[in-house]
Amino acid sequence: MSDRTIIQLDKISVSFDGFKALTDVDINVNENTIHFFIGPNGAGKTTLLDIICGKTKPTAGKVMYYPPSGSDIQLTGMKEYKIVGLGIGRKFQVPSVFTNLTVQDNMELSLKNGRKVLESVFSKARREELERIDEILDMIDLKDKKNILAKNLAHGQKQWLEIGMLLVQNPQVIMLDEPVAGMGKPETFKTGEILKKIKKDCTVIVVEHDMEFVKLYADMVTVMHEGKVLMEGDIDTILNDETVQKVYLGRGGERNA
Amino acid sequence: MDIATMIFNGISTSSILLLTALGLAITFGLMRVINMAHGEFIMIGAYTTYLVQEVFSKNLPESVFDLYYIISLFMSFIVAFFIGVVLERLVISRLYGREIDSLLATWGVSLVLQQAARSIFGAQPVNVKAPGFLQGSIGGTSSFSYVRLFIIIVMVICLTGIWVLMYRTDFGAKMRATMQNRSMAQCLGINTKIMDCITFGIGSGLAGIAGCSISLLFSIDSTLGTKYIVDTFMVVVLGGVGKLIGTFTGAGIIGLSNVTLETLTSASIAKFLVLILVIIFLQWKPQGLFAIKSRSLDE
Amino acid sequence: MSFIKKNSKNIVFTIIVILLALVPLFTDIGLLKSSSIVRYGRYITFAIVAIGLDMIWGYTGILSLGHGIYFCLGGYGMAMYLLMQKTGGKITDFMQRGGFTDLPWFWKPFLNLPLSLILIVIVPSLLAMIIGYFTFKNRVRGVYFSIISQALTWAMYTLFNGLQPYTNGTNGITGIDTIIGSYYDQTNIRILFYAALTALVLVYALSTFLLGTKFGKILIAIRDGENRTYFSGYCVSKFKTVVYVLSALFAAVAGAIYVNLNNSISTSEMTITFSVSMVIWVAVGGRGSLIGAVIGALLVSACEFSVSSAFPDIWQYIIGIFFTVVILFFRRGIVGFVSDIFEKVTVKKNKEGSVA
Repeated sequence: MSDRTIIQLDKISVSFDGFKALTDVDINVNENTIHFFIGPNGAGKTTLLDIICGKTKPTAGKVMYYPPSGSDIQLTGMKEYKIVGLGIGRKFQVPSVFTNLTVQDNMELSLKNGRKVLESVFSKARREELERIDEILDMIDLKDKKNILAKNLAHGQKQWLEIGMLLVQNPQVIMLDEPVAGMGKPETFKTGEILKKIKKDCTVIVVEHDMEFVKLYADMVTVMHEGKVLMEGDIDTILNDETVQKVYLGRGGERNA
Repeated sequence: MDIATMIFNGISTSSILLLTALGLAITFGLMRVINMAHGEFIMIGAYTTYLVQEVFSKNLPESVFDLYYIISLFMSFIVAFFIGVVLERLVISRLYGREIDSLLATWGVSLVLQQAARSIFGAQPVNVKAPGFLQGSIGGTSSFSYVRLFIIIVMVICLTGIWVLMYRTDFGAKMRATMQNRSMAQCLGINTKIMDCITFGIGSGLAGIAGCSISLLFSIDSTLGTKYIVDTFMVVVLGGVGKLIGTFTGAGIIGLSNVTLETLTSASIAKFLVLILVIIFLQWKPQGLFAIKSRSLDE
Repeated sequence: MSFIKKNSKNIVFTIIVILLALVPLFTDIGLLKSSSIVRYGRYITFAIVAIGLDMIWGYTGILSLGHGIYFCLGGYGMAMYLLMQKTGGKITDFMQRGGFTDLPWFWKPFLNLPLSLILIVIVPSLLAMIIGYFTFKNRVRGVYFSIISQALTWAMYTLFNGLQPYTNGTNGITGIDTIIGSYYDQTNIRILFYAALTALVLVYALSTFLLGTKFGKILIAIRDGENRTYFSGYCVSKFKTVVYVLSALFAAVAGAIYVNLNNSISTSEMTITFSVSMVIWVAVGGRGSLIGAVIGALLVSACEFSVSSAFPDIWQYIIGIFFTVVILFFRRGIVGFVSDIFEKVTVKKNKEGSVA
């Protein structure tokens, strides 16, 4: 864990047709941490991810990215594919993999090389890249499913494939939207262990409802409520806070609220 | 051409566009069905008018001839409605959620309907005669003809009717509920199959009325629909899919700019320019004038 | 066996090419009428268009209802050159009727062959690039793109009809010869026929190559999930523009060859109906497989000719109903249908084999 900020949200506000989804949100995400965004439905967690990855433009405020090496970069206003190019990856809530391509192709498409049109015609994955893919597929238990079409995978396997697709990019920051939704206990645990492993090399931002999961793996938790930051701190502070209990936790261990 | 005539022509052209596009605003806007056979429903309305006129002129005394048009207005709606219902049951109902496929399948249907029209009525265009009470014009000049005035009135009635039906009746609420969330509506005890069917029927029926109105101005042949299909789609897309006010505005803008540009250049160049301008506008605002903002990831 | 299975589509394509190559021979021995050469030559150009359309629709998921524009731009370009050859650079009857005494400026480059050939390629590609660049960059997609492409076709059709003195309106450019001499010389026609066939082979080979590379996989990725592809770090709009321009280029080349084998071109090839016909070829043959596009174009065109020459009234019923049924029940067209059957048969055989 480090205290160096890698992503900084600065006074972010968003409104959709007058509805204020986020108001003046300030969050600092530190390098090599697993940082959770939690909160009731409609609190604005997913919107936060949308803002960072460039899917949604904020009405006010800016997002800064402080890469481990090189100069500071303002993410707001950048195209999403350029943000991905910086090493900031995102997994969506609904598993979205390329269903008519094989698992291997899905992984190869996520490689950093050959993303330009002309490059893509002539580029072939290098040996060390293929080895890296094998390594990751091994980690997410999909090595023997390499050559089957992604549409034939089970729900949980698609979730992992998508995580694998993020990892193969050697990202600096990965954002996961409800990664363990629909997973059983063993898979949930395994996902958590994977996250722990990868935070050594990158920063993980997770939106999650499963409080057991948050308790086990969070380094830092931001509680969102009605588009504002309600509370921020480590998991114990959050769990013991009265206001948090009132708006969120007090509703009796509600899962997937 | 003086300004008053130009404005009147603009409103008249817009009214025709709006009438032809109203049905599409429902099938496309509400149901998300891309009905390429929409133009053929306009054609069906026009031929129905012709048929009713033939029945009147051959079987009934001349004194009641003028009534034929009033009856045609209703008949064109009814005939188009029922053919629409059949189409919905046979084809459209299998294609909900598959927009591109609905576009293609209905194109096939439009080919069949056009050929059917040629087989039944022949390749030569036919004409209908305006009833006596619509012949002539205000002040006797050719500019403000009663026919065009009448079409404006029909448009206003249809628009108001649809608005009341959709937003002020129980039926309309059920209809909108079905189109927004089919499974939820089912849970609430709405028979969504019948709703789909009737909604598509109404959209088709409106095209029928449009055809009946147009038949007063132009001759009718099997290609009548193809002349309107592009314009009607552009009206709906320009206005913003799913908004009645959008369709209204879209028709107004396209109609007025068509008439204005026609005074500056030739009719075909004006048409070309208007289409290009709309396409350029859609580059800037792909969702149209009245966009519905959505947060969902579209995949 | 696995070699055949793996390359089944290319083998089928080779067989089709060989059969087509024999068409002139069949006319010699009286199996086909001599007019069949130009007819099949035209179908070959349709197959070229179909391949391009399949690249953007079947693989990338962009449905264009306006590829007739590019076909016609290529076709008109060639026709203008051929007409200038025939008149010797003098202005034509329709221009005189339109009140011109001098050749309109944009006709002048078509006095020159190399310049004409360049324009035949450049003009359609440039138009496709402009349209593609803006619409894809602004994320106009799905049915909205289809509707816009349809409107554009209608606009161009209106323009070409409206500019009677420049384009001869609905009559188009007629009574021209081929690029290598008289239209009525059988040797010329044969040379052009084989040129068309060569073009088909080249276009098929290039497309097959592209689809086998990472580029091809990105196209499929875009079709499966456009936003997801952006979030994998690809500038989707650029890929879409490139493949769109490529397909427009194929259509333009096809149009230019078509004019030679048709001896005229008019705005009837610029109608929405003709553009949708192209989509019908691909859908019927099988979207998402190049061989399907080729088979669809050849088969539908050949059927259209035989049916409508015998019973002119029923062709539109047949194609209308058949097309609707394909869309409703056989989304992968003839090729998908046939390969499903093959798969069932082989799976059954394998099962029986393992039991015994």
